[in-house]
Amino acid sequence: MEYYSPTELDHAYTLLDKYGDGAVPIAGSTFFMSRREELFDEADAVIDIKKLGLNYIRLNDDGLHIGATTTFNEIFDHKLTRGGRYAILSDTAGELNTNEVRNMATIGGVVCVAGEVDMPTSLLACDANIVIGSSRGTRAMSMSEFHVGYLNNALEEGEMVLEVHVPQPPANTGAGFAKFQRTAADLPLVNVATRVSLDGAGACSEARVVAGAATLSGVPERSAAAEAVLLGGTIDDALIESAAAASNDIECVNDFRVSAEVRQLWVRCGVEDTLKQAAARARQGGEA
Amino acid sequence: MNAISLKINNEGYDVLVKPHWSLAYVIREKIGLTGTKAGCEMGTCGSCTLLLDGKPIFSCLRMAIDAQGSDIRTIEGLEEENNGELHPLQEAFIQDHGMQCGFCTPGMILAAKHLLENNPDPTGQEVREAIGGHLCRCGTYVRIVKAIMNAAETMRNAQATQ
Repeated sequence: MEYYSPTELDHAYTLLDKYGDGAVPIAGSTFFMSRREELFDEADAVIDIKKLGLNYIRLNDDGLHIGATTTFNEIFDHKLTRGGRYAILSDTAGELNTNEVRNMATIGGVVCVAGEVDMPTSLLACDANIVIGSSRGTRAMSMSEFHVGYLNNALEEGEMVLEVHVPQPPANTGAGFAKFQRTAADLPLVNVATRVSLDGAGACSEARVVAGAATLSGVPERSAAAEAVLLGGTIDDALIESAAAASNDIECVNDFRVSAEVRQLWVRCGVEDTLKQAAARARQGGEA
Repeated sequence: MNAISLKINNEGYDVLVKPHWSLAYVIREKIGLTGTKAGCEMGTCGSCTLLLDGKPIFSCLRMAIDAQGSDIRTIEGLEEENNGELHPLQEAFIQDHGMQCGFCTPGMILAAKHLLENNPDPTGQEVREAIGGHLCRCGTYVRIVKAIMNAAETMRNAQATQ
């Protein structure tokens, strides 16, 4: 197995083309190193992508741009994500409770893993796009299309994730994130992210209700039923309860860690809690 | 095999590594600095924690080849940093008996060192959060938190008298 540490994107793309499926881009390396026995035997080349200048958080007119190798602690403690309209990203990063892992794990890695992780759930609630690069050029794909199944993403041979783009939310939008786990350092048993936007009259003009980490499909999913309950309504406790009850259209897995019934109950609790937080933030103009 | 150079506790080490060898493995087995412990080797127990460019990381989840050019600090480097004396955290762990078997101690101390450098007066909750990724299978957590709080106080007092 070969190791490369390119400093130019074109060099990285050349290596991805040369090694095809045998190439593994590495940034934080937490996922790959914890499974190195299986994964490194199959890899022909490891490509360190940390020197490609993909470590940044920038605010443009079209929203927030987070480079693929930006670590969780950088997202957790950044002036653009600590509070304000992108606060859910800091909230979610902080829920990865191990400081050492937050210093290593990157947003690009976590979206590629597509397993029991938190950030994609919040990114789906934020309508995020994944920016993908290859020698053929760059393309963007919505978070909803990027995950195609458990531990399976839509990257094609020769491609890598360059950036996560979180579009600027409408005015008066708030979001919240909740996670259920056995111990503080455990993987999520289930997680929930919600986001609501209010119109001038205070009615819900846009809603996202997402559960992840343990859905039957293996990828974060939106609850169409819960979102339908919220749309057009005035977000009070009664409406939040109805939306939470409707969120059981997301089917959860039943495994040795916890049953599907309990997971579904937790989704309902998570939807209720996060909607309260999201609505409160939206009422403060989304800048809380 | 790839020839790499690592800078550990201000000393340079030249070693031959395979790309998938972890930093924890190379530091322990190839360089011989066994203060860093290898426990679960999958990022769960925290015993392999060291400071990479000043930040605590799990060295079992970092490729050694990927740590070239970084400033690596292990538990062995603490005395040198403290003019040959035990670090106040090490003193406090002895004083407050913040260990039984001692296997988690190097990781705990380095995580605590990073905390106290950035937050000299932490609350008990902040200490618990800082060592949240560290398992102590002897269950000495209460004494560990006490040791870190006492070390923080010692370090604050030393700062004040300077």
